[in-house]
Amino acid sequence: MRTKQEYLIRYKDGNLYCELADIWIDPSKPVKKALITHAHFDHFTFGCEEYISTKETAILLKERVGDNIKIKTFEYGEEFKINGINISFHPSGHILGSSQIRFIFAEEKWLISGDFKLQKDQTCKQYEMVKTDYLISECTFGLPIFKWDESHKIANDISKWITNSPEKTSLLFCYSLGKAQRLLNEISQTNFKGNIYSHDSIHKMNNSYRELGIDIKDTIKIENKKKIDELKGSLILLPPSLSKGSYLKNFKNIQTAFASGWMSIRALRKRSGYDKGFAISDHADWDGILEVVKKSEAKNVFFHHGDSEALSKYLVEKESINVILFGK
Amino acid sequence: MSLKKFSELFGDLDSINSTNNKIEVLKNYFLSNDPIDNSWAIYLLTGKSNKRFISGRYLKNLFSQIYEYPQWLIDTCYLKVGDSAEVITLLLKNKTNSKKKKLSNISLNELLSVTIPALSKLNEEEKNLEIKNLWETLPEDNHLIFNKILTGTFRVGVSIGLITKSISKLIKIEEEIIAHRLMGDFKPSIDSYEFLINKNINLQELNSKPFPFLLANTIEDKIFNSSINDFQFEWKYDGIRMQLIKRSGNVSLWTRGQELVNDSFPELVEKMSHIKDDFVLDGELLVWNFKEQIAFDFSLLQKRINRKSPTRSIQIKYPIIFIAYDLLEINGRDIREIKLENRRIELEKYFSKWQIKTENNISDIFKICDLIFPKDWPDALTYKEKSRENNTEGLIIKKKTSIYSSGRKKGIWWKYKVDPMQLDAVLIYAKGGSGRRAGLYTDYSFALWKDKELIKFASAYSGLTNIEIKELDKWIRKNTIEKFGPVRSLKPEMVFEISFEKIQISKRHKSGIAVRFPRITKWRKDKKINDADSLENAYELMKKIS
Repeated sequence: MRTKQEYLIRYKDGNLYCELADIWIDPSKPVKKALITHAHFDHFTFGCEEYISTKETAILLKERVGDNIKIKTFEYGEEFKINGINISFHPSGHILGSSQIRFIFAEEKWLISGDFKLQKDQTCKQYEMVKTDYLISECTFGLPIFKWDESHKIANDISKWITNSPEKTSLLFCYSLGKAQRLLNEISQTNFKGNIYSHDSIHKMNNSYRELGIDIKDTIKIENKKKIDELKGSLILLPPSLSKGSYLKNFKNIQTAFASGWMSIRALRKRSGYDKGFAISDHADWDGILEVVKKSEAKNVFFHHGDSEALSKYLVEKESINVILFGK
Repeated sequence: MSLKKFSELFGDLDSINSTNNKIEVLKNYFLSNDPIDNSWAIYLLTGKSNKRFISGRYLKNLFSQIYEYPQWLIDTCYLKVGDSAEVITLLLKNKTNSKKKKLSNISLNELLSVTIPALSKLNEEEKNLEIKNLWETLPEDNHLIFNKILTGTFRVGVSIGLITKSISKLIKIEEEIIAHRLMGDFKPSIDSYEFLINKNINLQELNSKPFPFLLANTIEDKIFNSSINDFQFEWKYDGIRMQLIKRSGNVSLWTRGQELVNDSFPELVEKMSHIKDDFVLDGELLVWNFKEQIAFDFSLLQKRINRKSPTRSIQIKYPIIFIAYDLLEINGRDIREIKLENRRIELEKYFSKWQIKTENNISDIFKICDLIFPKDWPDALTYKEKSRENNTEGLIIKKKTSIYSSGRKKGIWWKYKVDPMQLDAVLIYAKGGSGRRAGLYTDYSFALWKDKELIKFASAYSGLTNIEIKELDKWIRKNTIEKFGPVRSLKPEMVFEISFEKIQISKRHKSGIAVRFPRITKWRKDKKINDADSLENAYELMKKIS
C-alpha cells in the first residue's frame, strides 16, 4: 500500500494534481499549468499561465471566453511528455472535444475519465475504451436508478410534447454547450418540422460546432421583440439560467421543460418548477460507469464528482474491485 | 383498451399545470376508452382506492431477492427517490425487456378486477412468482402504475372537482349534478359509469346523496369595511363537518370527504329517524360536554370516527352531538337558493317544532348552533379572542343574503380563527422527506429548554419556503452530529418560531406536553439558542388558556 503522497495523481485543495509534472486537471483556481478535459465552465478557471487541451476544446473555450488565453493543443491519441510522463487525450463522449486523459509513468497507467458517456451522440466522438491500472472516474449518476433511454426515444417524446400543444410556445431549457447541439441533432430527425429558435449563447455554440465540421440544424436566433403568433407551435432552446426571473415574460402561453438526467426522478421533476422533464444526460448512467470500470481493467479506482459511497461499496462487495477514497 | 392509455393519462396529468388542460386531457381519455376502464380510472384518480396489496418494504425485498440486489443499495436509492413504487420502477428499467417474453396488453379493468385481487389468494411463493411474471410481461411504461396500485400509493394531482368538471363538459350537464352523482360510494362498474354520464337527470337517484358542501374562506381585511349587520356570526367548532339527511324516512350521515358514516354514529341515526319531516341539515358533529355545554377536545372525537358499531359503553363515554347550522332541504323542497337569513328562520322554526312534537327527546343529541351578535367589528374580535374558552377555533362569519352554493366561493362564508399560540424552539433533529421532498431534509424536530437541557417538544414539516428548505438542507448536512438511519441529530444553533393550535398535558411525550398542528412560522435567524423558550414558558401558556 502506498501513502496518498506517493500516488502519481492525487487530490490537492479539491483538485486533481500530478506533482511529478506539476500539472493540474480542470483546476478551480489559477495555476501554472492546467489540463482541460472539456469546455464546460465548471471545468475551467481564468488566470492559468498555460492550458493544454484538445483542438476542439480550445476552439470552444476561446469562443466562450475570448482569445486572451494561452492554450496548447493536441490531437486525440497524440502522446506528449512532461517531466518524463507520457500524457494523451482520448475521446470521452461527453461533448465535442471532451476527453479522458491518460498518464503513463514507469509503466504505470493512470486514466482520468473526465466527464463521459457511452451513449451514442452524433455531435461528438464516441467514448474510447482505454485500459489502465488506476482509474479516476466521475460518478455524477452513481446509483442504479439512473438508466438512460435511447436518445432518439427522448427526442420523439420532445417532438410529441411540442406537437401536442400547437397553441403553445415550447421552451426547452438545456446547457448551451453540448446538450443543446445533441438535442438539435436528434430533434431534427423526428416528426417535428416546426421552427426552432435558440438563445444567443446556444446559437454561438451551434456555429462553432458547424465550423468544427459537425452537422447542426439551422436555428433562428431568438429576439426579445418576436411577435407572439410567430412563436406558436415552435420550439425555443434556452439555457437553464434564464428559467427564473423576468426573461419568461417575453413570451405568452408557454410550456416549459428541462432536459437533464436528474429529470428521471419524479420528485426532482416536480420540484424543478418546469412543467415537464426529459431525462437525457451527457454523463454515464450506472451501467455505463460499471462498464467503464470493468473494461478499463483498473485494479484501483477513485471516484469524484458525485456521491460515490453506494457505488464504491457495490464495487468492493460485488466485483471485488479496490476502490480508494480520495483524501480531500 | 390497454393499461398503456392509463399510464399515458397519468404521465400527462402529472406534467400539466393548467387546470383547463387537465380537464381537456381527462375528457379525451373518457371519450376514447371503455366505460369499465373509465370507471376504474375515476376510482383511482379520486383516491377511492388506497388499498395496499403489499407493502413498499415487501416490494423492495422481493426485487432484491429476484434480481440479487443488495438491500442497502435499494435503500440508498429510496433516499433519493422517496417512493418505493418508483424506486422499483426505475430499477426494473432495462431489466425485464431482455427476457423476450411476449408483452401483455392487459386492460385497466383486468388488472384491477382480476389480476391484482387474485394475488391475495396466492401463498407467498406463488405471489412472488406472479409479481415477477407481471414485471416481465407488462410493458415498461406501465410499471409505475402497477407498482403504485400494488402498494396503495397511487396519487396524482387531480381533485374530485376536476373529474366533475371534465364529465360535465363531456356530457354537457351542470357540474352540480355530476358532483352529486360522484358523491359517496363510487363502485367501479359499467353501470356506475353509465349512470355518471347519463344525460337524463333522475331526481330519485339523488335521494340519499348530500349536496356539495359550501366552504368558508380565510378572512380578508376588506370585510371590516362592510356593515356588521350584513353578517351572521357563529362559533367555529372543531369537529367533523357533516350533512345529516332524512329523505323518505331514511337517515344518512355524510362527511365532507363524502363518506357515509351511519355505522359510526348509530345513536344519532336512530334518534333522528323519529322526526316526522324530511330534511337536509348542514352542521358539525362533536363529542359534547353536556354538563358545561361545550365541545370536548377533538382527540375524543377521534376515538369515535374510525370505530364502526360502537358499543353502548363507548356511546356513553364519548357522547356525541350534531349541531346544525343550516337547513338546505325540507320535505323535498330544495331551499339552497333562499337567502341565509331566511333559511335560518326556517331552521329555528323546524327545530322548535321537532323538539315539541318528536316522541323521543332529541335535544340530548341534536341542537342548532347559537348565534353571536357582536355590536361592531372590535366586538367581534373580542368574541374571537374568547373562543378558546368554549373550545372553539374562532368565528364563522356568513353573509346574511348569501345562497348556499357549492365549493369555496369567495365572499360568502369567512372563517376568523384565533391567532395561533407560538413558542421559539431549537432545531435538534432532521429527517429526509419523501415524495416531492425526497433527497432533502424536510422533517424537523424542535426542542425547548429545561434547565440546561434541550427537550424535544414538537415536529413540524410545513411553513418554510422552497428556498429556505434548500438553505436549511445545506446547513443540516454541514452541521450533523450523528446519523441514525434517515435521521440526523444536529448542532443546536437554529431557532424557529413554531405556531400551534392547542397545547395539553401528554404522558406519552418526554416533554410532558403535546401540541396540535405545529408548524414553522418564522426562521428566527436573529435569535441565539439561549433566546429560545423553555418548557416552563409552555406550561404557562397552557395555564393561561385553561
